[in-house]
Amino acid sequence: MAFCAPGQLLSLSHSPSLHSRRRIATTTTQALPASSSTIKCDLSSTPNPEPLKCASKTLPTLTKTLACSTAAGILFHLSTSIPSLISSPGDGNGTGNGDFSGGGGGGWNGGDGGGNGGFWSRIFSPSAMAKEEESQSPDWDSHGLPANIVVQLSKLSGFKKYKVSEILFFDRRRWATVGTEDSFFEMVSLQPGGIYTKAHLQKELETLATCGMFEKVDLEGKTKPDGTIGVTISFTESTWQSADTFRCINVGLMPQTKPIEMDPDMTDKEKFEYYRSQEKDYRRRIDRAKPCLLPLPVHREVLGMLREQGKVSARLLQRIRDRVQKWYHDEGYACAQVVNFGNLNTKEVVCEVVEGDITQLVIQFQDKLGNVSEGNTQLAVVRRELPKQLRQGHVFNIEAGKQALRNINSLALFSNIEVNPRPDEKNEGGIIVEIKLKELEQKTAEVSTEWSIVPGRQGRPTLASIQPGGTVSFEHRNLKGLNRSLLGSVTTSNFLNPQDDLAFKLEYVHPYLDGVYDARNRSFRASCFNIRKLSPVFTGGPGVDEVPPIWVDRAGIKANITESFTRQSKFMYGLVMEEITTRDESSHISPNGQRQLPSGGISADGPPTTLSGTGIDRMAFAQANITRDTTKFVNGAIVGERNVFQLDQGVGIGSKFPFFNRHQLTVTRFLQLKQVEEGSSKPPPPVLVLHGHYGGCVGDLPSYDAFTLGGPYSVRGYNMGELGACRNILEVGTTVVELCYKLQTLAAELRIPVRNTHVFAFAEHGNDLGSSKDLKGNPTEFYRRVGHGSSYGVGVKLGLVRAEYAVDHNSGTGAVFFRFGERF
Amino acid sequence: MASHLTREWAGIQQFPAATLAKLLELMGKLKQENVSSLTILVMGKGGVGKSSTVNSIIGERVVAVSAFQSEGPRPVMVSRSRAGFTLNIIDTPGLVEGGYVNDQALEIIKRFLLNKTIDVLLYVDRLDAYRVDNLDRQVIKAITDSFGKGIWRRGLVVLTHAQLSPPDGLNYDDFFSRRSEALLKVVRLGARIKKQEFQMVDRVSLLERHHEALECNMDDFSSIMLGLRESLKLFAYTKKQAATMPMLEIAVSINDSAIPVVLVENSGRCNKNDGDEKILPNGTAWIPNLMEIITDVVSNGSKAIVVDQKLIEGPNPNDRGKFLIPFILAFQYFFVVKRIQRAIKDDISKESKPLWELRDMGLANRDF
Repeated sequence: MAFCAPGQLLSLSHSPSLHSRRRIATTTTQALPASSSTIKCDLSSTPNPEPLKCASKTLPTLTKTLACSTAAGILFHLSTSIPSLISSPGDGNGTGNGDFSGGGGGGWNGGDGGGNGGFWSRIFSPSAMAKEEESQSPDWDSHGLPANIVVQLSKLSGFKKYKVSEILFFDRRRWATVGTEDSFFEMVSLQPGGIYTKAHLQKELETLATCGMFEKVDLEGKTKPDGTIGVTISFTESTWQSADTFRCINVGLMPQTKPIEMDPDMTDKEKFEYYRSQEKDYRRRIDRAKPCLLPLPVHREVLGMLREQGKVSARLLQRIRDRVQKWYHDEGYACAQVVNFGNLNTKEVVCEVVEGDITQLVIQFQDKLGNVSEGNTQLAVVRRELPKQLRQGHVFNIEAGKQALRNINSLALFSNIEVNPRPDEKNEGGIIVEIKLKELEQKTAEVSTEWSIVPGRQGRPTLASIQPGGTVSFEHRNLKGLNRSLLGSVTTSNFLNPQDDLAFKLEYVHPYLDGVYDARNRSFRASCFNIRKLSPVFTGGPGVDEVPPIWVDRAGIKANITESFTRQSKFMYGLVMEEITTRDESSHISPNGQRQLPSGGISADGPPTTLSGTGIDRMAFAQANITRDTTKFVNGAIVGERNVFQLDQGVGIGSKFPFFNRHQLTVTRFLQLKQVEEGSSKPPPPVLVLHGHYGGCVGDLPSYDAFTLGGPYSVRGYNMGELGACRNILEVGTTVVELCYKLQTLAAELRIPVRNTHVFAFAEHGNDLGSSKDLKGNPTEFYRRVGHGSSYGVGVKLGLVRAEYAVDHNSGTGAVFFRFGERF
Repeated sequence: MASHLTREWAGIQQFPAATLAKLLELMGKLKQENVSSLTILVMGKGGVGKSSTVNSIIGERVVAVSAFQSEGPRPVMVSRSRAGFTLNIIDTPGLVEGGYVNDQALEIIKRFLLNKTIDVLLYVDRLDAYRVDNLDRQVIKAITDSFGKGIWRRGLVVLTHAQLSPPDGLNYDDFFSRRSEALLKVVRLGARIKKQEFQMVDRVSLLERHHEALECNMDDFSSIMLGLRESLKLFAYTKKQAATMPMLEIAVSINDSAIPVVLVENSGRCNKNDGDEKILPNGTAWIPNLMEIITDVVSNGSKAIVVDQKLIEGPNPNDRGKFLIPFILAFQYFFVVKRIQRAIKDDISKESKPLWELRDMGLANRDF
């Protein structure tokens, strides 16, 4: 089983093990060194003399070896680059089998039960034997006998290759032919249409006879007119004394008991002694075994099965094994195996399970070619991301593996991550969790370019407006192997005149401030930046001619410490020092907002853009931000709550000694309106989103720090800042998201693969709480804005794009908007 | 003020004798109250007759008036003194341009008025305009925002072009009362004076002045009754008194306490009475009447408006509550940040762990 997870998507295909096993049989040869990767266990089943006799009559040996195996090599495979997707681990048994969902099947199979021949191994991995002998030649020989006569196996020619056209099972106890759906059918490796020699068939019979499932088994051929033969396998199922208790034990990591070869010349007394000692051993073994994870409900279910049946039959044991294994596999214990049933012929059935105890956790780095290499990353960085359930002594669970995968992936240090449990060769029943990591290049640089063409007069672009722009960025990741990074980028819209607008950012990130071994997760971040943004404060209201834009340039340095409490909740605090320059369209410093006069001229008598009144402000302030986020995904829909409190505290350093307290509180609730079943392909529940945002400022408030109303992240249906700019702000919004089935079917009809299609309705309101006048120059009124506004509408989300029809409540008109990303 | 020469009020001599006598009497009255100078600010929309009114009051052609063009964009202050009494009248450009309040003009006016004291505001509009609209309200609001609500306690509504024949089916008094009522309503809305406040003033002054007999125009009566109607509804007990109250008294009290409405006719074709005084269609000589009401407004106990930097710019919102910042910060830290931190801790402890994790921790008890 392999799990491929490109990017963040983690899809887990867990094919039923039995099924896959059967399919392996058809295509691959899973030959394993029996010594290393076999889990087998032997036990003597019947200590009391009475069933012993009975057993000795029917079975050639007294000890029954029950071994069970499955292809359990589990490979988590996460890849961010395509070529490395098919990297199968070279542990010898990966066969790149197409029936698996990726490379690297394998694991433990073919329990080659040593000693007296484990019949369970035959049952569970018949492929192991059959394939080896399967002849490659397509030719076959006709049986050369008259049609429709029954031929004993011994009468078949040893030199011919027979084509088997039909395989029938005949249950002698029921005196009926059993169909292919019978659980026994899977134990036979013969395939209708296959070509076999007499030796093959004999070996097959021997396998069946020794597996312990049958008291008696025969194989006969029946000639067909077309030269092929039909094979009839007639059998008598083994049964044991009825049992009324059931016990499940974890025998992982316990030494397997080796059956002592019994001397056929033992006297009865010796035999008795021998059985007694075996029984004692087994008792001790049961007592020593760890309790298993199997919960009581499943336990009771199995008991029910036992009671219903009366006698314990081989088929019943198979069913019990399937049930127990199903529970384990459903719960993610992918390495769990039922290896044995013990204490048969007593009142109790003991189910021995190897649950998959982890004996070792190995972290390996690979170079580009997949060879093991010495990584740059310090192991502690990776180790602290691993859930403790992956450490030694815990039972391996696929979910823990997936979590490890996600956590490591979120470090963004590796291009390829594999979490791969493999059987421990030195410790039978143990699991070694291997984490293979391919590191990303430490230093990267990137250049991206773009041309911008601005339509001039009459809508036609002029030659002068064609500008080459772009971004140059570099990153030095994982400094000292401690995930520290230094990144920088420079963006300009015009390379010919970069001084016009040059945005740059240089950032240093230093995680694990308290040390990589400290559980506290704080990281330090320092950056120096220069960004230019269009100020939404200087925007006209409805019906106002275009307002000359004001650009706000911020250049400065920032340092903060972020403490992560959970993956989403965090607390950030730091200092910012910046210089703010406000400029007009032609990049001249403008200390006041501008407006167009009816005469066509521009007057610069608007509200002051800066605190100092000169167009340039310098200030230093403290910043804090605490986020509490308990949102989670339920079938792709966000459910939970998110609270953010943000604070900018001026400390009186800067032009005009700015002293202020600017605060914002955002509360968002995602209420699930209906309980739904969770699952990757299940529809997401309808969600009601309630959103409230309060912002306020006491003290000096320059226009560039004012709160603006309107825009896709404030009140939809209006332009950015169209409703006003103010000192205190209150926004409330609500959205109901409902999955639209009809739309999906429509999309399906159009053959457009649209996933995550939602329809939603929303209503929003934003209000300045009368605080527009408390902003110097009252920009809200100056540009004839209302200061408050509501909107409502409906929308459709198609993938990443939101199409919304929003009705602007101030004017009562509606419009369609297209946006990217989520509103909340 | 220094730049303006205070000239001798020559124009006063041109007034008819009756008017002159009245004006001198009023001046004397103001002097008695220790008011030796009076500054009148004239504001209004463009083309309503502000400058003409100024000219009429002074009795000289001090401000250029043109029938078709708006006067210059700058405010003009005219100062005249007579017998130790100075009268300043500030004429301002129209406040409306292109269907909007002209903020620029307002700005210029404000700057012009800096460091001056306004005793009376004359809000000028035409009587013969039939409707009031949002623009009127905007203008009122702009004035209020610039000088504060208090200016309306010193405000008069002046309706020019008083000599008109009302549209069909209305008599003059009805028309006047309706027009003034509509305009006052706009003033009230624009200045955001509460109705209650408006009426309360009415009622209190009514009661106060119950026994004072003052001269008043009979013609104002109807408008006063209209204004009263609402007060009476609210204050049932006033009704009884009002019924017994002499009409004249009511008229004066209303005019005096709320914003008085005064009629003006600047046209040269204005009717004149025997004393050669310009009179309104109802026979009142309007200049003495206007001056008298101005005098009343000045002496109604309200404060004159001193225009200073603070008034023009409004209180600096950046300074408000600054001293509270340390307390706010402390509150935020202890009651918001700490609380959220606690909530996060709760979240962590309450986090629902997947079953496999619980089993691993040995908490399952084999129940699941």
